Amino acid sequence: MTRDDAGGDGGVSNGGRLIRFATAVLGNDASELAAARMDIADAMGGAALTDTAAVAALFNAIDRVADATGIPLEDVKAAATVDFRAAIGIDDFAAASEKGGVP
Amino acid sequence: MTEISYQDLPWPVREDITAAQRRAWDRLGRAGTWLTGAERIAIAEEARHASHCKLCQARKEALSPQGVSGSHDHLGRLPALEVEQIHRIRTDPGRLSRSWYFGLRDDGMAEERYVETVGVIVTTVAIDTFTKGLGMEPWPLPTVRPGAPSRQRPIAAKRELAWVATLPPADAVGTPDEDLYAGRPTAAHIYQAMSLVPAEVKGFFDLVTSQYLPPAAMTDFDNEYRAINHAQIELVAGRVSALNQCVY
Repeated sequence: MTRDDAGGDGGVSNGGRLIRFATAVLGNDASELAAARMDIADAMGGAALTDTAAVAALFNAIDRVADATGIPLEDVKAAATVDFRAAIGIDDFAAASEKGGVP
Repeated sequence: MTEISYQDLPWPVREDITAAQRRAWDRLGRAGTWLTGAERIAIAEEARHASHCKLCQARKEALSPQGVSGSHDHLGRLPALEVEQIHRIRTDPGRLSRSWYFGLRDDGMAEERYVETVGVIVTTVAIDTFTKGLGMEPWPLPTVRPGAPSRQRPIAAKRELAWVATLPPADAVGTPDEDLYAGRPTAAHIYQAMSLVPAEVKGFFDLVTSQYLPPAAMTDFDNEYRAINHAQIELVAGRVSALNQCVY
């Protein structure tokens, strides 16, 4: 992984652009989304833009599969990410204590 | 009849994405396992309409969605219980709770219809968000096709993993639904989530394979399969999931 700007890229090449697009596509600011779209197309190419849109759209959907069914994270994944999840605040999400089967 | 096509865009869209979305759109208008084609399209329309619901907007801004009462702005084609399900899943998925789900059940929600409704909502969201991302209007919803739901519940489904009943991979072996897991004894929980309605799993994961990655490619870090690499894909996925406050 390489850093390609001063910050906000998650340590990923073009990360800032990708985060900007993912944020905009879930938001309501059409001009910001248009700008984020063109930024990726200009810097990374049209195929990168459409693949980015595909991933963002798919996860906007699959998040709802997880949240609407109450499916829990697998134990092995939860154990492997316990420090990381606490550090970035995922454990503070409202749904963090809601998942799983029969109460 | 709507034919999804991205040929007029200035950017290339992979053919497998277009093909998977066409299959999903065709399936959307046909009778499913528990819902008619007309019901499935009504659910997709309501899911789109939910974005304009004032009650949902007020709940989204509130400290707790349970603290805001009122009536949904809805299209009048579905029962109130299903409107509540659709609007909450569409507009505030990160704050759905066990008590909310079992409240719907106590009020008469059939879990098979609930799960298939989830499948319809997420299919619509996956394709609508894609067109939004590319600056397009949403595709017109497909034509309703005649037909009756098959109404077949997996015989080995049980409620132990999630709020909804699921079909455990090991228990599926030897049943009519064993093809869902292709004989594998385990599967990711997210793949099992809608397994009470196997057709919805198969249909949605057809989109997953094209819009995200095929299963074998997800952990094949020696090769890249898209115009963005694994790290970039996961960054986008992680950002979206964080905004949705999804803990999975």
